[in-house]
Amino acid sequence: MPDDMTQNAPVVALRGIWKVFESVTVLRGIDFDIHAGEVHALLGGNGSGKSTIVKIISGAYRPTAGTIEVSGMAQSFSRPSEAHAQGIYMVPQEPQIFPNLSVRENLLMGLVGDPVENAERARGIADEIGLAADFNAPGGELSIANQQLIEIVRGLLRKARVLILDEPTSSLTRREVTSLAAQMRSLTARGIGILFISHRLNEVIDLSDRVSVLRDGHFVLEDATANLTTEKLVEAMLPADFSAPVEQETAAATALGTKPVLAVRGLSSRVFREASFEVYPGEVVGISGVVGAGRTELAEAIFGIDTDARGEVVIDGNTAPVRSPQICQEMGLSYVPEDRHAHGIFLDLPSAHTISSSLMALGRSRFMAAAKEMELAETFVERLRIKLASPMQYARTLSGGNQQKIVLAKILAPAPRVVILDEPTRGIDAHARQDVYRIIRTLTADGVGVVVISSEVGEIAEVSDRIMVMKRGNLVELPAGVRSVEQISAATFDTNGEVTA
Amino acid sequence: MMRILKSREFLVLVLLVVMILSVATVNKAVLYPITLINILNSSLFLMLLAIGQMFVVLTRGIDVSVGATAGLSAVIFGFALNAGLPLPLAMLAALVTGLLGGMVNGLGVAFVGIPPIIMTLGTLGAYRGLMRVLTGGSWIESIPQNIKSFAVTRYLSVPLMVWTMVAVVIVVALLLWKLKPARYFYAVGDNYDGAYLLGINVKMTRFWAFSLAGAFAGAAAVVFVGQIGFVPMQTGNGQELKAIAAVVLGGVSLMGGTGSIWSAVIGALFLTAVDSMMIFLKVPGSWNNAVAGFVLLAVVVFDFLIRRTVRNRRLAARAAEMRRSELDHDGAGAPALVQTPEATS
Repeated sequence: MPDDMTQNAPVVALRGIWKVFESVTVLRGIDFDIHAGEVHALLGGNGSGKSTIVKIISGAYRPTAGTIEVSGMAQSFSRPSEAHAQGIYMVPQEPQIFPNLSVRENLLMGLVGDPVENAERARGIADEIGLAADFNAPGGELSIANQQLIEIVRGLLRKARVLILDEPTSSLTRREVTSLAAQMRSLTARGIGILFISHRLNEVIDLSDRVSVLRDGHFVLEDATANLTTEKLVEAMLPADFSAPVEQETAAATALGTKPVLAVRGLSSRVFREASFEVYPGEVVGISGVVGAGRTELAEAIFGIDTDARGEVVIDGNTAPVRSPQICQEMGLSYVPEDRHAHGIFLDLPSAHTISSSLMALGRSRFMAAAKEMELAETFVERLRIKLASPMQYARTLSGGNQQKIVLAKILAPAPRVVILDEPTRGIDAHARQDVYRIIRTLTADGVGVVVISSEVGEIAEVSDRIMVMKRGNLVELPAGVRSVEQISAATFDTNGEVTA
Repeated sequence: MMRILKSREFLVLVLLVVMILSVATVNKAVLYPITLINILNSSLFLMLLAIGQMFVVLTRGIDVSVGATAGLSAVIFGFALNAGLPLPLAMLAALVTGLLGGMVNGLGVAFVGIPPIIMTLGTLGAYRGLMRVLTGGSWIESIPQNIKSFAVTRYLSVPLMVWTMVAVVIVVALLLWKLKPARYFYAVGDNYDGAYLLGINVKMTRFWAFSLAGAFAGAAAVVFVGQIGFVPMQTGNGQELKAIAAVVLGGVSLMGGTGSIWSAVIGALFLTAVDSMMIFLKVPGSWNNAVAGFVLLAVVVFDFLIRRTVRNRRLAARAAEMRRSELDHDGAGAPALVQTPEATS
């Protein structure tokens, strides 16, 4: 971008923004500008505060402190429509389509003014940015790329001067990414400012004019893209206190001759293809990948939740013709899902009930003695150092870290041979995180095989004996010895850099 | 045109015609105009409840209180007539009673945030109870019989009420089609978060859906009392489930966002016609509910299977496209990510 452009007043400026949720401080006094005709990329790992910034700019959240200026005037929004009125429009990661309404209605819904006139404007804008769709077809028939264009047209119909594109490329084909890139160029040529969010660093380098990297609630890097490389971006995203992990003597290296507790061969689904790997007793296999790469889908396919996946899964030497979560658990495989609230824990029941729930579907007896249930719960409370007043305390009243430990206790209760942990430390504090790592180590000491799925590269580097990367649906193992955070990041985030041992 | 032929409303309409024609091979009396007019006439009560229910189901809600609301409105209608109010004022009183009953549901669901099934189960009990309290548990019988004159008036041998219904349906259809806020019912049911993000007042939309359901229940009460000339305590009992069945049969998805007023009209006609056909086939009346329930299940399951097949095909095609894109990339080397606007236009 020419310098004279960036010296004009920004269209949107955040000044000294703080955001505090109950006890967690997410943003610590950040400044952030979006200029007309410029693509400003916002980067940061999970929990860095990226999505909070987006929600503040688009009116979903109010900042705890600080001001938002639009064209130099202080503004405050308390709902998305107020941000729209100021010319700010967010294209969410999942486009908000009305699948049963026509494309025309999808475009015009919520617009004020004459419908006929609006429809003409919509037609004009759609042609301009290359949305080729039958206006009478239902919205549900649109491709993902066209759904995104619907959102962009909605923004332009509202005379947006700033568009926020949240992970717009994560579910597009390469061809669609190329045409989105062209559309972004034509939008900036019209003087629209774009806030661009992507996990794919090479796209950030290719498509943006300026990059800001967020870590732990403040900016650690802000520079013109021309001065940056993917390596510099990876470096900036890493935790400050991060030191290269000590070469560990891996337990798994001595596993020669032992049988794997989990073997996945040629497993394919809609999202990933031909995934193959083995887990030996006592080792931790880390699977790194960005959101949308297919990591969680892989776990769900192994565990029999996605019944359409094809391929072979051998659990502790046995294969089942059909897998379901219950069959997998009986064979010795347990799975802790990413979203513990939705899938892993009963918040409004005594903690002891969640812990014992995994035993419900197993074994012959249909009854469970209350005394035995308490005993089981107390064993795990002690073993995993769960902090609660009594096993009868409701899980909702516990901290995130303790909730996660209860989920772990639940899956450990049937004494599995192999466990899959999806994002085991998301949303829990540093102390609880160390506890989870300690639990993983005790498991491996007992000869359990562990698969850790995580989008945090530091976590993968810390806990894994062997590391695999899921990228765009392809699962590859990194060579032994490739285990520095920089190397894993380079392989995980779509950089062009080659990974060498 | 193709879209109309492929629609669920059309499918049920065809089934309705096929059913009537096949019964006619056994008993020709089915095709007498008087029979068909009678079916129309006796479907009016259910049709009004179903139209009201449609607004709620479009927004992905459900209202199990419409039968009780109709009952309460009928009681108020009866009281108003017995107090000597002129017919139009009494009708207005019934409509307002229904509207208020619906507004209570709307307030609870949209603004307090109570799940629709809980809220309307609550008001179902409350309105039924209120009916008993107001009447002391006895029927209202001494209604001035001049109100029946409204029900028996005919033009071109078709009851005035049927003509009124035709007018109501046309007006509602036009409003749903053309009026922008009417389209909000669809938007809110189809994608609640999306509607909110686009600046639609989602709470007000849900509130009005329940309020309209109440108002239509009030109108249904007027029709009911006009047709039978008294108010039994059972007025509207069990009709809420029939109204839900009618709209679902006609193609209003319980997941919200699909269907039209024709769904409610054709669904109500179909369920009423099933009852009449049973008579012509000399099947005992005790079979009516079982047959209607079976037809509803058959249509809904059939429709679900078709829709699932279509959706799976689309998802599979998308997966294949993504895979091809990756293969092309691996084979032919990276295409230029950024093209100049000139290059693509």
